[in-house]
Amino acid sequence: MSNNLITHVRKAADSVAVIDISGELNGYGEETLMEAYAVASNGRSQTIILNFSNLEYMNSSGIGLLVTLLIRVQRQKQRLLAYGLSAHYQQIFELTRLNEAIAIFDSEQAALTAVTTPA
Amino acid sequence: MTTLRGFWRSKTKAAPAAETPRILNTTETAVIPPTALIPIDLDIAPNDPLLAYIRQNPAVFDAAQLKLDSPAVAAMRQAGVRLPLVSQGELIGLINLGQRLSDQEYSSDDYRLMNDLATQAAPALRIAQLVQQQKLEAVERERIAQELRVARLIQQTLLPQELPALAGWGVSSYYQPARAVVGDFYDFLYFPDGKVGFIVADVTDKGVPAALVMATTRTLLRAAAERLEAPGAVLARTNDVLVQEIPPKMFVTCFYAVLDPATGHLRYANAGHDVPYHHTGQGVVELRATGMPLGLMPGMAYDEKETTLAPGDYVLLYSDGLVEAHNPARGMFGFPRLQSLLSTHADGATLHHFLLAELAAFTGPAWEQEDDVTLVTMQREGAVNSEQLTVNSHPVEFEIPSAPGNERLAMARVAEVVGDLLPASRLEKLKTAVAEATMNAMEHGNLYDPDKPARLKVFVEEAPTSTGSVRVTITDQGGGKPLQPAATPDLEAKLAGEQSPRGWGLFLIQAMVDEMHVHQDDQHHTIELVMHLADDHA
Repeated sequence: MSNNLITHVRKAADSVAVIDISGELNGYGEETLMEAYAVASNGRSQTIILNFSNLEYMNSSGIGLLVTLLIRVQRQKQRLLAYGLSAHYQQIFELTRLNEAIAIFDSEQAALTAVTTPA
Repeated sequence: MTTLRGFWRSKTKAAPAAETPRILNTTETAVIPPTALIPIDLDIAPNDPLLAYIRQNPAVFDAAQLKLDSPAVAAMRQAGVRLPLVSQGELIGLINLGQRLSDQEYSSDDYRLMNDLATQAAPALRIAQLVQQQKLEAVERERIAQELRVARLIQQTLLPQELPALAGWGVSSYYQPARAVVGDFYDFLYFPDGKVGFIVADVTDKGVPAALVMATTRTLLRAAAERLEAPGAVLARTNDVLVQEIPPKMFVTCFYAVLDPATGHLRYANAGHDVPYHHTGQGVVELRATGMPLGLMPGMAYDEKETTLAPGDYVLLYSDGLVEAHNPARGMFGFPRLQSLLSTHADGATLHHFLLAELAAFTGPAWEQEDDVTLVTMQREGAVNSEQLTVNSHPVEFEIPSAPGNERLAMARVAEVVGDLLPASRLEKLKTAVAEATMNAMEHGNLYDPDKPARLKVFVEEAPTSTGSVRVTITDQGGGKPLQPAATPDLEAKLAGEQSPRGWGLFLIQAMVDEMHVHQDDQHHTIELVMHLADDHA
């Protein structure tokens, strides 16, 4: 139907989980995204990294979804990172100031380095 | 009985058809075998006294007895023609009789018989001649008609099937061949950098030969324009090749211009063609550039000139069929009349209609078109107010059924229409804005009712003060209630639970486009999105 979101969760490092996102991130992907988040958190991951490399389309409802996810992540005292965003969606992250709450990296390696290096 | 063995046409070219005599070589087959018949080739001069004699004595006569100082009669005697002539006041043919078998003179009964025969045979022979003539004429008519068909076919293959679709420009063409046969042609060339070539040409002949020269010239022009940028060089190159190919005494007049639609810049050169007119805000200007017609002599150089079309300006290319049309008093339409007419008419879109009406008024209803009439006009759109903006641009309209996810259809359609007009990054922004507005229309306006589609219009238009814009309007059917104001969503407030996580739509739209306008009435909301074509709002 209208949910064309596909997620895949994998462990990238100690207490770091990556959610690979592909397809469309819109209002209809809520269940899929929250399930993926639950799987990712199950291993008591402190850090969740969203991989947007295969994102085809994201709309304002999808942004709303990310805000909802962010609220949960913050309640769990986890960190949310992202990489693989196209220039267009990076700009949207900046406009909505989502980039201030979700740190954006160029690659998975850069995100992992930032996580494992003490601030 | 007698046997008719053959016809010999008179070589008397000057004689009218009715006086062209034919000779029937007859004989009595019982005695002389057919192989013994001698064809008689008889020349009768138009002033031969025999013709006058026959007019006065429309009856059979005996060449041997006739006392007339006539070379034709002398020739008949020499050939042994005894009894020439089938006549009906006109010399239509001759019956050639030999001697009687008895070697006696022909009797008066014989002459009566001959006269009766001549009276019967003359009209029959005349009819046979006419039938023969008509058959030949029918063959000739069919040949000409076939030639016209071939010429028209060549012409149809060569003339452009479509007009250039240029954002911010109106291009129109009119073509009316005289006698169904071509001499004129026009062409549009498209270059990778977005420039467009305009060609109007006239071949000095009609029919298949002109069509073939036209085809050759068109190919040569295209080939030259592919390798050479300067219009003058293109004409010079075409001329040098064409001069080797073209039949003697034929030549081609040709105007060639290259337009940069982005700036209105026009470079042009002219090979002896009628001088085009440039309608500007300050008056009508001739686009003069000197050069010899193509195909006359090799090594010609062509002047190259340039001008710029300001918004609202147009350039008219045309052929001599318009300016050289005559009225019943043999007055000519002429250049001054055309120029003054143009100065009164600013709208390129209606120009051809206007000029053809003026031409019809000038020539009168009985006018038979003397030459091909070709008109090609390019006008840079120049909207003065928003009302005119809408008139000048031709929106692409479509409907999107209200169903979840269908905003992506709207994005794809808009992207298809806008194409390269916007740089990729700005097109992405417009697509996002279109998706958000369409989603709003389908969800909040139409409540995902499949019977209430979202309606979209895409305008590509030119404004006088800037280089133009793309406008997209998205209309729902949920008017009456106010649209949500574009309140700035606050991420911190959302994270703190003070605002809904949602509500990014209008904010996003506003951030994506250069201008956003909202219109509403009792039935509809319309969101209007504007992206300027010049990248000054990136």
